[in-house]
Amino acid sequence: MLSLANLDKVYPNGAHALDNVSLNVEAGEIVALVGGSGCGKTTLLRLVSGLEAPTQGTVSVDGEVISGPHAAVGFVFQEPRLLPWLSVAENIGFGLEHLPASERRDLVEEALLKVGLAGYGSRWPRELSGGQAQRVSIVRALVTRPKVLLMDEPFSALDALTRATLQDHLLALWEASQPTLLLVTHDVEEAAALADRAVVMQPRPGRVFADIPIPLPRPRDRLSPGFVEAKRAVLAALDGSLSQPVGASTKRDSQAPAGSWW
Amino acid sequence: MSDMQIAQKMTARTPARAASARIGGGFVYGLILPVAAALVYEAAFRAGLVQARLLPPPSRIAETLWKLASTGALTTHVVATLLRVGLGFGLGAVAGVMLGALTGSSTLARRLLDPTLQALRAIPSLAWVPLFILWLGIFEPSKIALIAVGCFFPVYLGVMGAIANVDRKIVEVGRAFRLSRLKLARRILLPAILPDTIVALRSGLGLGFMFVVAAEIMGASEGLGYLLVDGQQLGKPDQILAAILCFAVLGKAADWLILVATRPLLSWQDSFARSG
Repeated sequence: MLSLANLDKVYPNGAHALDNVSLNVEAGEIVALVGGSGCGKTTLLRLVSGLEAPTQGTVSVDGEVISGPHAAVGFVFQEPRLLPWLSVAENIGFGLEHLPASERRDLVEEALLKVGLAGYGSRWPRELSGGQAQRVSIVRALVTRPKVLLMDEPFSALDALTRATLQDHLLALWEASQPTLLLVTHDVEEAAALADRAVVMQPRPGRVFADIPIPLPRPRDRLSPGFVEAKRAVLAALDGSLSQPVGASTKRDSQAPAGSWW
Repeated sequence: MSDMQIAQKMTARTPARAASARIGGGFVYGLILPVAAALVYEAAFRAGLVQARLLPPPSRIAETLWKLASTGALTTHVVATLLRVGLGFGLGAVAGVMLGALTGSSTLARRLLDPTLQALRAIPSLAWVPLFILWLGIFEPSKIALIAVGCFFPVYLGVMGAIANVDRKIVEVGRAFRLSRLKLARRILLPAILPDTIVALRSGLGLGFMFVVAAEIMGASEGLGYLLVDGQQLGKPDQILAAILCFAVLGKAADWLILVATRPLLSWQDSFARSG
C-alpha cells in the first residue's frame, strides 16, 4: 500500500505547494489526481517519487519510508524523456543494467512486443512519433516491475485519438503486473477511463478537495451512462475546487502581484 | 509518414552507407574551388598575363614541394610541426576537459576557479612567450607550453558550457533510475556533452595550428613555421606558399580525423546537418 501522511511542501521561494495532504492507495489501485493548474498535483507526484523531499510528512510504500528515488517506484514524465543517444531497446533496458545481457534482451523484446513496437528496438528515439515515444517511456518505467507507477500527465501532449489508444495500451500493460498507479491528469475523461478513484485537488495551497470512487467495470464503454455520470461527478468536484470561499479568495488577491487581477 | 515508409527508408539508406557517401561526395565537392583557382592562375601565368615573381604559379610550388620531399626535408619539417601540435594539443585538451568538467559540474569549483581562468584567458597567449622562454628555454618545452595554453581555453570553455547546458529533465531520468553520481556522469552527462565537446576539441586543434606557427616563427630550426621564415629571409615565395599549403592540408586532415573518429558516436543526433 502507498501511504501519504500529512505532506507539506513549501518551496524555498515561499510558494506553499501542498498543505497537509494525506492519501492511502491500495496495492493495484489506479488513482487519478485531478485539479486545476497550480494545485500541487505534480509536486505531490514528485514527493512520492523521492525526486523531491517533503517539508513535512512522510511517503511510504508497504511501510517503507521513501526518502529518495526508490526501486519500488517508477516514474513516467510528461514528456517521453528518452535518451537520444540510446536506441529504443537500450532506452527500455536503461533500468536493467544490473541484469545479464541475455535476460535484459528478453525483457526488452517482450516489452516492445507488448506496446506494439516489435522490430523498433534498433531505431533511434528521433525516429519515433510522439505516441510511440511515450509508449517506450511507459515500458521503460514498467520493465523494472515497480510496485508503484507514477505518471505525470503522460498523454497531455498527444492528440485525442492517440491519447485514447494509449490509455487502452496503459490498461493492458497495467493488467500484466498490476502495480499501484498514481496518475496526474487535467483530463476528466482520462480519469474516468482509467481510475478506480479520482482525487480532486484544490489550489493555493494544494489540498485534497474530494475523493470520488469510480466503481465501473473494465473495459469501460466511454458512452455508457455510468461513464458519463462519473465524468460529470469529477467535473462538478473540479468546478467546486476552483471556486473558493470568499475569505480565502480575497486573501489570495491581496497576495497576488499587481497586474494579475485578471 | 507510415511505419512502413519509415522502414523502407531505413533499409534503403543504412547509416554506414549514408555516412560514406557523405564523406566521399563532400571530398570531391570541396576540391572543386581550390583546384579551379589553381588551374586558372596556372593558365594565366602560362599566357603571360601575370608576373609570377611574388606569387609563383602552382607548378612552381609543386616543384618546390617535390624538391623538399625528395630530400626528406619536408618530412622532417612536417613531423616536427605535427609533434609540437600533437603534444601541445594533447596537454591543453586534457587539462581543458578535466578543468571544464570540474567547474561545469561543481558550483564550488566554478566559483573558486572560473574567475581566475577567465582572467588568464583574457591575456593574449603570445604574451606568455617571453616568460615561457625564460622558464623553459628556447627549445621544445616553451613551444609546446604555448600551444597547450592556446588549445586549453576553447576546450575548457566548451566543456564547461556543455555540462552547464545539459537538460535538467534528462538528468532527472537518471535520478529516477537511482544512478550514483559516477553512473550519472557516465551514462547521462558524458553522452550528453559529447557533441559540444567535439566541437570544442576541433576549435582547440585549430588554435593549436595557429600557435605552432607563432612558436616556430619566433625561433626554430625545423618545422613548417621555420620554412615560412626561411622563405621570407631568402626571398623564396614558392617555399612560403608550399609551407602554407602544407598547413592547409594538415589542418584540414587533422580536423577531418576528429570528425571521422567521432562520427559513430554521434549518429544519434537529430540535427539539420544530417538531414540533408
